[in-house]
Amino acid sequence: MSPAALPVRRPAGLSARAWAAGVRLVGARELAAYFDSAIAYVYTIGFVVLANAIFMNEFFLTGTVEMAGFFDRLPLLLAVFLPAVTMRLWAEERRQRTIELLLTLPLTPAQAVLGKYLAAMALYGGFLAGSLPILAMLLALGHPDLGRILGGYLGAASLGSLLIALGMLLSAVSGDQIVAFVLSAVAAFALVLTGNDRVVAVLDGLAPRLGVGTFLYESVSVVPPFDAFVRGLVDLGAIVYFAGGTALFLWLNARRLRRNRA
Amino acid sequence: MIRVERVTKRYGATLAVDDVSFAVNAGEVVGFLGPNGAGKTTVLKMISTWLPPDAGRIEVAGFDVERAPLAVRRNLGYLPEHNALYEGMRVDRLLAFVGRARGLAGARLEERLAWAVDRCALAAVLRKRVQECSKGYRQRIGVAAALLHDPPVLVLDEPTHGLDPVQVVAFRDFLRELRPGRAILFSSHILSEVAAISDRILVIHLGRLLEDAPVAELEGKARAAGRDLEGHVLEIVKAKGTAA
Repeated sequence: MSPAALPVRRPAGLSARAWAAGVRLVGARELAAYFDSAIAYVYTIGFVVLANAIFMNEFFLTGTVEMAGFFDRLPLLLAVFLPAVTMRLWAEERRQRTIELLLTLPLTPAQAVLGKYLAAMALYGGFLAGSLPILAMLLALGHPDLGRILGGYLGAASLGSLLIALGMLLSAVSGDQIVAFVLSAVAAFALVLTGNDRVVAVLDGLAPRLGVGTFLYESVSVVPPFDAFVRGLVDLGAIVYFAGGTALFLWLNARRLRRNRA
Repeated sequence: MIRVERVTKRYGATLAVDDVSFAVNAGEVVGFLGPNGAGKTTVLKMISTWLPPDAGRIEVAGFDVERAPLAVRRNLGYLPEHNALYEGMRVDRLLAFVGRARGLAGARLEERLAWAVDRCALAAVLRKRVQECSKGYRQRIGVAAALLHDPPVLVLDEPTHGLDPVQVVAFRDFLRELRPGRAILFSSHILSEVAAISDRILVIHLGRLLEDAPVAELEGKARAAGRDLEGHVLEIVKAKGTAA
């Protein structure tokens, strides 16, 4: 059956194409795993129903042809839904011990991390696609500001990217789905709530000299950079914040995999 | 093909593998024998690149596991101890995933999948999800996944675990068939199984390699001492293991 003398495979330097193929392979498997179980359907339907219901309530109250009502509530919704998406990504691999199968294949930790990240982003893309009927309705009813709406979607993608990368890292660190969900949700809520005026005022009031609330609002919270997108501004600081945060969390995730395999 | 030189591994304060050295050459089937907790799995995990050694050096097909892990994995077929598989995946899709990850594509992938499915007798479960398969089938899926890319080095941790007696015999024949040109290292804690398949036996206990000898040589020593092979190996473990 096998050749008498099996050739040793010399490692050609991994080409960009081969590297991308590995990422795609992991991503496709992960995305299929979401849809193999009820996870993808339940989360997508839950998110779309909730997001659209909240928007419609506000839409009928304000009567304005804009999507601000949708984007304004998005950070809080994502703080619940995205940890639910990311909690299983590494914790489940550890629980089932399939992480040993995955990481003894000729794939780098970076390929595995990026593949899973892209799968979660694709599922999140499905969440956002569920809001397109709102856009269709607004276009039918009037002339919404498409630039601001596009900015809102860019902001939503950037915010989702950051929270997914953070959730993945916490899933890798915790090794347990429930713990990963709680940690990710707490971290996401902290990033969102530090952008709330009342929270900032309370934190500033606790130690007026330190100005903790203002510091967190200006330096840590996702709200100011997200709001910049929602207002239709493509701000370099906001891009750096989201892209840098995503890259940092993905890098830490890959590093964690390299260091703590067993 | 496999070269393990003075390898040590600790888990916290526990010394799991202590200064172990051995080699497995092409065309050799070597059985790794020892009681549960002896350190067999830790050594195999280090060879597979899953665990880094704390000290020493391991080479697979000429590549260092620490410096060139991807090259090692390309040349290695590895069946882990727990043979964890993606439960929700269909067997054919799981094998295709592993094959693609190992660089197979197109007609070559189809050819290797057909070969693995045939040799591991997986046709009946190909369209089932892994979670629907029996333990014996799951073990064969793991072996098929390890062999898909026709690797020159095979490392199998308890490969007959979960197989029924008929399947065990068939697996022994299969392993003999795979031997030409390949270095095969497999672990077991069942001496009769190791003796039946291997050219050479490594005995490990409490993390130390106590014996590295051809089966025929061990059998000869056992006869000379008036013992059976099992009794002789137990004597080695008692004598050298205690001394260690």
